[in-house]
Amino acid sequence: MNETTLIGLFIAVLEFGTLLYLAALGETIAEKSGVLNLGVEGMMAVGGVTAFWAGVETGNPWVALLVGVIAGAVFSALHGIVSVVLGADQVVSGLALTIGGLGLAAFIGQDLVVEPPGARFEATNLGPLSDIPWIGEIVFSQTAVAWIALLLGIITWLVLTRTRLGLILRAVGESASAADSSGTSVVKTRMIAVMIGGALAGMSGAYLTLALAPGWSEGTTAGRGWIAVALVIFGAWQPGRVGVGALLFGGLLALEPRLQTFGVEISPILLSMLPYLLTIAVLVLLSIRSRNRPSVAPAAIGSAYRREDR
Amino acid sequence: MAAPFAFEKRDKPLRGGQIRAFVVGVVVALLLGSILLLIAGHDPITIYTKMFDSAFGSRRGISTTLTRAVPLGLAGLAVAVAGSMGLWNIGAEGQIIAGAIAGAWVARLGGDLPGPALITLMLLGAVVGGGLLALGPAIARASLGVNEIITTLMLNEVAIRVVRYLVNGPWKDPDGNNFPIAPELPDQSALPALFERSNIGLLIAAAVLLGFGVYTARSAWGYELRIAGSSEKAATYAGISLKAKVFTVLVLSGAIAGLAGGIELTGSSDRLVEGVANGWGYAGIIVAALALMRPSGVAAVAVAFGAVQVGGLSIQTLGVPAAIASILQALILFGALSAAVFTNYRLVRRSSGVTTATVATS
Amino acid sequence: MSTTTTTTTQPAAVELTDIWKRFPGVIANAGANLVVRPGTVHAVLGENGAGKTTLMNVLAGVYRPEEGTVRLRGEVQNFANPAAAIGAGVVMVHQEFRLIPTFTVAENVALGESPRILARRSIEDAVGELAERFGLATEPSKEVWQLSMGERQRVEILKALWRDAKVLILDEPTAVLTPNEATELGRIVATMAADGRSIIFISHKLDEVTEFCDEATVLRGGETVAASLPVDALDAGRLAELMVGEATEVSIRRQRSTVVGDPVLDVRRLSVRDTHGVAVVNDVSLQVGAGEIVGIAGVAGNGQRPLSDAIAGLQAIEDGSVVLDGADITSEKPRARNAAGLAYVPEDRLGVGLAPKLNVVENSILRSYRSLTNGPFIDRGAARASCEALVETYSVKVGQLEAPMAGLSGGNLQRLLVGRELADNPTVVVAAQPTRGLDVQGVAAIQEILVEQSRSGVGILLISEDLDELLALSDRLLVMHEGSVVAEFDPDETSRTQVGAAMAGAVEDTH
Repeated sequence: MNETTLIGLFIAVLEFGTLLYLAALGETIAEKSGVLNLGVEGMMAVGGVTAFWAGVETGNPWVALLVGVIAGAVFSALHGIVSVVLGADQVVSGLALTIGGLGLAAFIGQDLVVEPPGARFEATNLGPLSDIPWIGEIVFSQTAVAWIALLLGIITWLVLTRTRLGLILRAVGESASAADSSGTSVVKTRMIAVMIGGALAGMSGAYLTLALAPGWSEGTTAGRGWIAVALVIFGAWQPGRVGVGALLFGGLLALEPRLQTFGVEISPILLSMLPYLLTIAVLVLLSIRSRNRPSVAPAAIGSAYRREDR
Repeated sequence: MAAPFAFEKRDKPLRGGQIRAFVVGVVVALLLGSILLLIAGHDPITIYTKMFDSAFGSRRGISTTLTRAVPLGLAGLAVAVAGSMGLWNIGAEGQIIAGAIAGAWVARLGGDLPGPALITLMLLGAVVGGGLLALGPAIARASLGVNEIITTLMLNEVAIRVVRYLVNGPWKDPDGNNFPIAPELPDQSALPALFERSNIGLLIAAAVLLGFGVYTARSAWGYELRIAGSSEKAATYAGISLKAKVFTVLVLSGAIAGLAGGIELTGSSDRLVEGVANGWGYAGIIVAALALMRPSGVAAVAVAFGAVQVGGLSIQTLGVPAAIASILQALILFGALSAAVFTNYRLVRRSSGVTTATVATS
Repeated sequence: MSTTTTTTTQPAAVELTDIWKRFPGVIANAGANLVVRPGTVHAVLGENGAGKTTLMNVLAGVYRPEEGTVRLRGEVQNFANPAAAIGAGVVMVHQEFRLIPTFTVAENVALGESPRILARRSIEDAVGELAERFGLATEPSKEVWQLSMGERQRVEILKALWRDAKVLILDEPTAVLTPNEATELGRIVATMAADGRSIIFISHKLDEVTEFCDEATVLRGGETVAASLPVDALDAGRLAELMVGEATEVSIRRQRSTVVGDPVLDVRRLSVRDTHGVAVVNDVSLQVGAGEIVGIAGVAGNGQRPLSDAIAGLQAIEDGSVVLDGADITSEKPRARNAAGLAYVPEDRLGVGLAPKLNVVENSILRSYRSLTNGPFIDRGAARASCEALVETYSVKVGQLEAPMAGLSGGNLQRLLVGRELADNPTVVVAAQPTRGLDVQGVAAIQEILVEQSRSGVGILLISEDLDELLALSDRLLVMHEGSVVAEFDPDETSRTQVGAAMAGAVEDTH
């Protein structure tokens, strides 16, 4: 194994990490507000295809990214309206979002499959920083979106722990009635959280079709949305830990096609099961831990709230 | 911020609200679908007519629709059985795969057996395979209270990779031109044909659906299931062991989905392939939700969804992607979920001080 | 500001006029009125179901009334939601605390109002300072799930003070408190009133009212039957009469059982710990003889529920034994205990005794379905017949037998539940709060059934928070306090005051 392949691996780790982190961060925000959204895969697909289309039309990657973000947010509002405003079941509504989103993306992208990318994010050149051996190539040559992901992660953490907005968001996810009696609008807060989740999933999809693997084909999200859902649990609903998990799971995704290059005899397919199995293990551990204390999962997750119920 | 409208609980749930909700869902889906089609430059009427014709317009169409309804119905039943107890089996997709893998394994071991014996063993294997994949979540939920939504969901992705591994590795067909497929199954393992494209699998599925429909509605077992689904404490009070119930119901749910995988393998496919589950497990969740988790309602919804899928495939010749079927399925669910809210609630307008009831979509 | 009817020159802090609020099947408020002066502690009294909580929810913006006006300091208010009420200075402390267990005390308090950027330390300091000013002992950095009930209530009050509430509504605040904590609360309430705030104190306990409050308003059946009575001039007997209405001395003062048979229920040194390992039942021993009614009195949350659940087999025990009619059933499951002759009317009718989503027939066979089977199937004819018999015998008013249980009124739910429990001719009936929340007729019907059962030789353990009911029905009266049986009385030779003192933990040696 030589230096180039190793550097290539680490670059890919950060790339896949970025992809997963954006989607998982969005899902973390939604779940923190008490809304499980199993529609991540669908939102990613919609964000990805619309961003790719916008790239082809405008040739500007930033416009394309913005289109993907907006499309993700608008599409996620469907889940918000059905499960938050109308109070229908979150599990079913989220799954329908995935099924419908994959369908919608395929529908929109029908003629885009043959299209060459019209815009893509290139590696940034940070001058002397990018010239540092190893670190320069791996870290300081990522696309701008990777830095945005990092920045968004830090902002989310700060907002959740250091601001009134974060306090309200967490309160709504822990106990809707407590938040409501404090004068917070539960529906509004959750709706916003869901749409931020959709926007970030859309950005993740856009990153996929504009930077990680420029192009569009049906099924290009390849189940990464489910890894994002898993990551939220793996990271115990904390933006920082989710980030560490994104690097770990991203590392596994990056390693998959390179395993044989490194002379490892295990099938890469078996390796790709690890994120899911690890998440199950973490979930079991969390359940054991929460026997004598409140669970780390947002307590109100999965349940709709209506004030005049009696 | 004062919302101009608020939900108010009805004194009594609307009668027949669920069927109404389903109809509303279909109408909403068709309307929104036609907007999409119009934007894409297609004539919705032509498309919908074609879809309907291909699904119900001929013997062959009906047979195809029913063949698709088999895995949808069994997956839906699997979800509904768990759902009547308030449990979520999101893992039908993976359990279908596990069933197919187990069936294929039986065929590898017993390829020389006569047809009926081999088929029976393969289907039994499929049932066991599906149940086994649900075993972990069942134990975790029953003994530690681990959320079964996530565990079953995660195992879907694991099962997909297991089958991928098998058809790319140990079970790869040496004569398959390097395609990721398993070798062809023995000829005698194919389910006997019934009419057109349908095979005995249709009868098996119908019998299982009918059997479970009747059994859960009428038996003491189904009664206990509904008590537990209504209130865990009431179930304990009535002397029902919740842990045992949770465990058996989740494993049984997996087994039913596994059977779907077995029927797909022996009926519609001639070998194990990666896409054996084809999204039926996820669609089954929507089917069960639309059937209100009642096993008795699953069959009808499954046929409707089978028709949408067959219709979706048929319009590809008109240049419309088959994906329209997925979109319609999701829209039906969104429409029905939204409409169902009005079975128990109505919208009231808020004016200053006095709350006046206004017309809801009743 | 035209028609305020206060007796002082100052406008009333709160004035509710002719409030109506309906819920499916219930009229909770039927023209209720309330006037509260600033700087006073005002009691709102009434039985369960009198509409106190609903009226307060209207004042707090949780419910919008169909009719009526809400005035604060003379100005008409139209609260769209709790936020609007809070903005106007009205804060309600609900019976079930609205606290977030995983948040710290300071975070819970700051949720109501805080700067956009939260500095953990400075918020904690500010909360600590406020708590000190009003003499509320708390630790701002502790997470709420680690606190006792009394501490949690103080957090709720802190939340209200943090938002500078001018009107504080306390909904049955002492129900979950120990006597010491209740005294403490009285002191805190007085401090707040001295600060110029108005406190509305919802209660159905007369002694608290005389101790903590300045004035009292009494509600009955959703209406105000007495407004702003000065507490000093109050006679407990008159108050009780107002609360329960003229015809209340109906409580059948029953003939005591003269011959009590052998013990049919023998609870020996029973101890129970809750899921957090806290001892909730301590070494309780009691006996119920055939034909005897043994009452258990106590303030809510003093171990009555775990005790009854443990006897019925719904709650794991730590130590001790339960003997039913001579047979040790300690290790039996609920089903076996029921089969052995133990009937249980649990405190939570809907949710424990009855399954809300199931229909009336299905609920009526909850105990007997195993014997109503035909192979694996339930004999629907037999199930329906047994349900019809129950409905008939106990005059349960149901629309359709196939309607979900949750649609029935409290009284009808209880008739069905009690009837079902008695269907197999039990030896012992454990009845927990069997008449709570029922209307007068419902109460009478259930009490009559229990008395009749005891006449036919059934041993009855009656757990209730209604002291009058206990005094009227029991042959012997036990009092539970902090998980222990602390006193025993002969109902004919004791008074409400004596029992009340024991309930509060002030035990004189009665032996």
